Amino acid sequence: MTETDVAIIGGGINGGSTGLELAKNGLNVTIIDKNFICRGASGVNAGTLTMHMTRAQLIPYAKKGWELWMNTSEWLSKEIDVEKKNGLCLAFTEDEEKLLIERSKIRKYYGADISIISIKEAQRIDPNINSSIKCAAFCEMDGYVSANQTGNAYSKALKENKVKILENYDVSKIDYHKNKYVIIFKNGEKLTASSIILATGVNLEKTLKLLQINIKIKCLPQQLIVSERMPKIMDTVITVANGKLSLKQFKNGTVLIGGGWPGIGNIEDNYTETKPENLIGNMMLACHAIPRLKSSRVARVWLGLEAETDDAMPIIGEIPNYENAYVIGSIHSGYTSGPYMGKLLAEKILGKDIDLSLFDIKRFL
Amino acid sequence: MAILINNRKYDVIVIGAGPSGVSSAVNCAKKGLKVLIVDLNSNTGGQIYRAPPKTYKSISKKLKENEIQKQLSNEIKKFKIETAYNHTVWQVSPGFKVNAFNETSTIQWQSKSLIIATGTYEKIIPFEGWTIPGVIGLAACTIILKAHHFIPSKKIVLAGNGPLLMLVAYYVIQFGGKIDAIVDTSSKIDWIKSSFSLMTNPKNFRDGIKWVFKIFLNRIPVYSNSTIEKAFEVDEGIKLKIRNLKTGKAKNIISETIAIGHGLIPSTDITRLLRAEHIYDEQKGGWIAKVDRFLRSSVRGVYLAGDGAGISGALAASDKGLLASSTLLYDEKIISQKEFDQNTYKILKKLDKYEVFSKAISKLNSTPKKIIENIDNGTVICRCEDITKSEILRAVDQGARDINQIKSWTRLGMGPCQGRTCQYAASKIVAEYLNYEIDNLGYLTGRSPIRPVPLDRVLGDFDYEKITKVEAAPL
Ligand SMILES: Cc1cc2nc3c(=O)[nH]c(=O)nc-3n(C[C@H](O)[C@H](O)[C@H](O)COP(=O)(O)OP(=O)(O)OC[C@H]3O[C@@H](n4cnc5c(N)ncnc54)[C@H](O)[C@@H]3O)c2cc1C
Repeated sequence: MTETDVAIIGGGINGGSTGLELAKNGLNVTIIDKNFICRGASGVNAGTLTMHMTRAQLIPYAKKGWELWMNTSEWLSKEIDVEKKNGLCLAFTEDEEKLLIERSKIRKYYGADISIISIKEAQRIDPNINSSIKCAAFCEMDGYVSANQTGNAYSKALKENKVKILENYDVSKIDYHKNKYVIIFKNGEKLTASSIILATGVNLEKTLKLLQINIKIKCLPQQLIVSERMPKIMDTVITVANGKLSLKQFKNGTVLIGGGWPGIGNIEDNYTETKPENLIGNMMLACHAIPRLKSSRVARVWLGLEAETDDAMPIIGEIPNYENAYVIGSIHSGYTSGPYMGKLLAEKILGKDIDLSLFDIKRFL
Repeated sequence: MAILINNRKYDVIVIGAGPSGVSSAVNCAKKGLKVLIVDLNSNTGGQIYRAPPKTYKSISKKLKENEIQKQLSNEIKKFKIETAYNHTVWQVSPGFKVNAFNETSTIQWQSKSLIIATGTYEKIIPFEGWTIPGVIGLAACTIILKAHHFIPSKKIVLAGNGPLLMLVAYYVIQFGGKIDAIVDTSSKIDWIKSSFSLMTNPKNFRDGIKWVFKIFLNRIPVYSNSTIEKAFEVDEGIKLKIRNLKTGKAKNIISETIAIGHGLIPSTDITRLLRAEHIYDEQKGGWIAKVDRFLRSSVRGVYLAGDGAGISGALAASDKGLLASSTLLYDEKIISQKEFDQNTYKILKKLDKYEVFSKAISKLNSTPKKIIENIDNGTVICRCEDITKSEILRAVDQGARDINQIKSWTRLGMGPCQGRTCQYAASKIVAEYLNYEIDNLGYLTGRSPIRPVPLDRVLGDFDYEKITKVEAAPL
C-alpha cells in the first residue's frame, strides 16, 4: 500500500491548482483522477475570463484568478495560450439596457472595473459588433484561455513539482481511522493519506457521500459551438446583458460560441447529447451580436458538465466531522477563479489565516 | 423559421441512398413500413453510382454506373418511398431524432428505427506536400470521372494502392488523359497472390483484367513497392519524388495532378454520436461499429447496412442492405422467424463468398509500416488545423496516451472534417512510435455536427425578437 501526505481526488482546475500550490510548499501530493487530468469541465470549458458573466460576490476572486492566468509562465507552464482582450457586454433592447446598467453597477460595487459606454465608443473598441445595440458595458479585464490545453499544462507543471498523478483511477471507498484516510480504488488498489481533498467537479455529490456528507449538487450540461477557422471577424470578448452569450475568436481563427444554453446530459454514464433547438438559439444570438459570423460554418459542438449548488455559490474549505479533509468545487465561472481558489485552499491547509466562510459547506447541512 | 420539426413519425429512416440504403429502404417499404431515405446528394447512387448533376443536359457517353443509378431511383419511385435528397444529416440523437440541413433550413425527423448506410470515405496517408493544390483523392477522382465525365487534368499521376488505382487509370485513358505514372505501395507479387481470391468474384475480376490490360497496352509506367515522398508546385505543375520502399531508390517526375488513395474507411460518425460500441479491425478498414451477424449495432433499433460495419464493396452492399432490413423487420415482428431464416440464409452465404474477395482487396490496401515511418516530421497530418507529425509526437512525449488526449492537446481532429481524414494516419503514427496496439489509442469521440453546418443557411433571416428567450444567468 502506498502512502502520501495529501491525496486529491479529482484532477480538474481546482484539484490541480490546490495540488500544485501544496507541492510547491513541500508537501507530498498525489492527484487521482478517474479519467485523465483536466478532461472534465476544466478541459472542455469555454475558457472565457470575463467579469461581465461572473457572479457579483465572486468578482474579487475572479479578478485574482484573471491576474494569475495573465502570467501562467510564472506559476504554471508555457504550454497554454492565454490572451488578454477587451470585454464588451451588449444590450439590444431597452429592457436589456436597464438590466445591463443595473448588473454592471452591482459588479462594479464588488470591484469589477466596468463602465457603461455609448454605441459609438463600443464600435470604436470593436467595429464588428451589431450597430443596433442600445449601449454596452466595457471592461478591460477580459480575455480567454485555450482550455483544451489545460491538461497538458497542468500535467507538466504537476510532474515538474513532483506531484504523483494517478490517471484512470476511480475511487470507490474512503476509510477513515486513526487520523488516516485509506482510499480504495475500483481496481482494488489502495492509497493511504494524512489528508484528503475532494475536487471531483460535477461528481462531488457522489464523492461527498463516501464521507457520509449529503448535499445536492446539480449537473448542468452546457453546450459549446465552434466555427471553422475564419479571417479576423472580431477583436473583443462579447457577452450580453442577461449573461447568455460568450463569444470570442481564437488566434487560430476559430470562433467559440457559448453562454450556457443547456444540452442533455447525465453524470452516471458521463453521457451528453446536443439539443438542436438550443444550438440554434445560441447561434442566432451570436450572429446577431457579430453579424459577419453568419458567413461561417459550425465545425463542432460539444458539451461539458458543470456543477452547481442550490445557492449557485462554491463550496470550499473543511469537511465537518473529519480532520484534514477538504472540499473544493461548484464555483461559478470556476475556470477563471480556479487557480486562485486552489491557491487559497492550499494556503489555508498550510496554516495561513484564510477566510473561506462565504463558501462553507455547513450552510447546506 | 429556421428549424422545422416534422412530427410525422417514420418507422424507419435510412441514411444514405447508395446501393445498400436503397435495397434496405425498398425491403422495408415492401412490407408496408413508413420509410424515409435521406442523402446529401441530389439523387440515389451513393459514391459508386453517383448521379450526374441535374444541370448536365446531356452526357455523351453513358457509363454502366449511370444506368445502375437510374435503376436505384426507379426502385425508390416504384415503392413510393419518401425521399429527402440534398439533405445533409448533421445530428442524430437517441429516440431517434435525425437533424439535417438543406439550402434553406434545418429539419428534424423522428423514427423508431434507423438504418445507417453512409458508406465510406477515402483513406489517404499523408506525405510532404499532400495539401498543395492539384493533389486529390483517388476516390474523389472516380467521382469526377464517373459522375461528371471529365478528367481533372490532361496529365496525372495515380498513387496509393488497391484496385481503385486500376479503375481510375482505365477511366482516365478512356477519357483521353495521360497517366505519367502509377505509384503503387504493393508489389506485383502482392497482386498475383491476391488474384486467386479475387477470382471468387468473376464479375469484378473480369473488370479488373480489363483495366490492367488497358494499362499494359498504353505502356503506363508502374512503380511498385513505391510511394510518393514529396510533392511541390513548379511552373509546369507539380514536381514529385517517388521512393521505392524496397531498394530506397528515388525518382523525380513532373505532372499536373496527383490522385492518391490508400483504400477506404468506414464512416462511423453516426454510430459514434449514438455512443454505439466500436471495434478496431484493420482488414475491415479500421474502427467500425460493432455488429452481430445480422447487422444489429449495440444500440437497439440501429442497423448497419453497407460498409459502415466493415468494407465489403459495392456488390455486397445491396445484400447487406437486405440483411440489415430483414433483421429490422424480424425484430419489429413484421416477418416471421421462418421468413427471416429463409431470407437471411441465402444472403449470409453470398456474403461469406464476398468476404474472400473483400479480404483480398483489403490486403492490397494495407498500409505498409514503411510509408508511415517515411512520413517527414514536418508533414501536416491534420490539414484542418495544420497539425504536423512532430506536434503529434511532442504531445505523446509529454504523456498523451489516447487519441482524444492528443486531440485536446494539439487540436488534431478539431476542424471541419472532425478527424475523418487524419485519425487513421495519426493513430498509425502514434501506435508505431509507442509500439502500441492501435486500438489502445481509442477513437475520436463523436461530435455533432457530423458535417459543417453553414450558419446562414441554417439560420436564414431572423428578427432579434424571434430568438428563444432564456432565463437570465444568476447575478
Ligand atoms: C461547457 C462549459 C463551459 C464553461 N465555460 C467557462 C468559462 O468560459 N469561464 C469560466 O470561468 N468557467 C467556465 N466553466 C466552468 C468551469 O469549467 C468549471 O467551473 C471548472 O472547470 C470546474 O473545475 P473542477 O476542477 O471543479 O471540475 P472538473 O474540471 O470537472 O474536474 C473534476 C475531476 O474529477 C474527476 N473525478 C470525478 N469523480 C472522480 C472519482 N470518483 N475518482 C477520481 N476522480 C474523479 C473527473 O474525472 C474530473 O477530471 C464552464 C463549464 C462548462 C461545463
